[in-house]
Amino acid sequence: MSLFFNKLMYFLVTVFLSLTLIFFLIRFAPGDPVARILGPNAKMEEISKYREQLGLTRPLHIQYFSYLTGIFRGDLGNSLYSKKKITTLMGEHFLPTLTIAFFSILLAFVFGVIFGTLSGIYKSKTFDHLARFFSITSLSFPVFSLGPVLVYLMAIKLKLFPVSEWGQLKHAILPVLTLVIPLGAIITKVTRNKYLEEVNVPWVEFLRAKGMDDRGVNLRVLKVCMPTILNIVGIQLSVVLAGTMITETIFDIPGMGMLLFESIQNRDYPVIQGIIVYSTIIYMAIYFTVDFINEKIDPRIGQKK
Amino acid sequence: MSFGIKNKGLEIKLGGGIVLLYLCWALGWIIYSYFMKGNLTAPYNPVPNLKTELVAPFNSNYILGTDVYGRSLLEMLSAGLLYSFGIALLVSLISGFIGLVIGQLSAGDKNIIKIPSDMLTNLIFVFPSILIAILFMSIVGQSFWGLVFVLSFTGWPAYAKIVRTEVLRVKNLSYVECSIASGITSMGLFFKIIIPAVLPVLLVHLFLSMSGVIIAEATLGFLGLGGSEFSFGAGLSSAKTVLLEAPHITILFSLALAGLIMGLNLLGDGLRDFMDPRNKIRAQK
Repeated sequence: MSLFFNKLMYFLVTVFLSLTLIFFLIRFAPGDPVARILGPNAKMEEISKYREQLGLTRPLHIQYFSYLTGIFRGDLGNSLYSKKKITTLMGEHFLPTLTIAFFSILLAFVFGVIFGTLSGIYKSKTFDHLARFFSITSLSFPVFSLGPVLVYLMAIKLKLFPVSEWGQLKHAILPVLTLVIPLGAIITKVTRNKYLEEVNVPWVEFLRAKGMDDRGVNLRVLKVCMPTILNIVGIQLSVVLAGTMITETIFDIPGMGMLLFESIQNRDYPVIQGIIVYSTIIYMAIYFTVDFINEKIDPRIGQKK
Repeated sequence: MSFGIKNKGLEIKLGGGIVLLYLCWALGWIIYSYFMKGNLTAPYNPVPNLKTELVAPFNSNYILGTDVYGRSLLEMLSAGLLYSFGIALLVSLISGFIGLVIGQLSAGDKNIIKIPSDMLTNLIFVFPSILIAILFMSIVGQSFWGLVFVLSFTGWPAYAKIVRTEVLRVKNLSYVECSIASGITSMGLFFKIIIPAVLPVLLVHLFLSMSGVIIAEATLGFLGLGGSEFSFGAGLSSAKTVLLEAPHITILFSLALAGLIMGLNLLGDGLRDFMDPRNKIRAQK
């Protein structure tokens, strides 16, 4: 069985099991979503009528089946609040989230790998201490506390960037910065540690003995470190997705996070379910792609398991 | 290399110091609210008061001023700290316990137990935990135990993986083989040998995962899905609305949260490096 097919099957099984788990987690969660949607003053008849409308009175296996087919047909029903189709709503809000998440991951990756490697090369020098200090500090500020602090410093005090606008590239700078700082810090830390782990092994000494210059050696060491770094990016992706959504609520960007936040406020719970289900699928698709790339780079990873 | 080791000791001392400071703060707050205020029905909860909205800091009555709802900021921070710390400890202990049991099972000999528990661990490990928590909390509503449940549910696989690796390592050591050969029961093996061997590694991960739980809890609180209105996340969310008028609220909440996370991270990282056998070998070189 080829590696690609193997990974694809594993991906499909995991997604299927996750969606199943999400379904049962929701159905058996304490508390009645319908009662919460209608508020505390709702009458019993209203609640049972609404349940009927949402299809919650049908047998569990039929609900489960229509949930699964709905996900794969891209039809999760309508929003309770705006009555629009959920997939249409998500389509309208998809682009800003994608832009921000993409640029954040890209920049964090580039800067993280560069700073991490430099920090490893100049171990225990001033640069290393500075880089470590910044990575420890910025890891301590979650997105939702870093965002407002950055808004206050950069936009209100220094008036460098506009806030609460969306449409031009410069409006994306501050949100992307908010996400790049913590993610870049993690990547810097991981790259530094992995670099230091790999740089003293025999084959690197052999390359040096053969007369390869520092640049060549460092590039080769970096290639060996890459699976670990990519793996961390993959694992951090759910944090990045959630972080992007939260950043949007801070900067008033009309993306998925804004949709999620509004849906939470309106208790529009089919929309919340739709966003989370599709985010989970996207996250897992990227996670398994990273896994696949990693095994292509370093076949030892597959054998370790 | 001696410098590196000294540096790691510094990490432990610094992180431990910060965490200890926060513990003293929390303890002081418990004592204060029990004995000074004598309010036993809601001993930890600062009370909202519309008359004292957004009082500036260094006022005679309120050292750090008040928040949007007129609650003393110092008390809000203290209550938030106690809440964050409590939930992080509870979730970490629960998921650590589940992880210990499942990790031990998946390192066992019987395939019929080993394979399913291994699969379950790997499945939930790749779960996007914060997204699942958002979905779950939006259905359950503001609930402390709901939050504890969903964070423990997605938190235990990391412990299980660590325990599994550690158990497999320990089982090959000669003193364990000796005890098996001399007829130790499987219960005795688990309690007398596996647990003492696994506990140090588990404790290190406890500190690291506590900071993760605190961030997750505050994220949910920020979205209005937390288990309590005293969560740091909820505080930051309400502070965001008055960022122009009262930026000090946001900054104080951020600093309090960041200090706590930093302390736990430093302590966990330092202890992990300290116990990593590879570092000891390096130090001997």
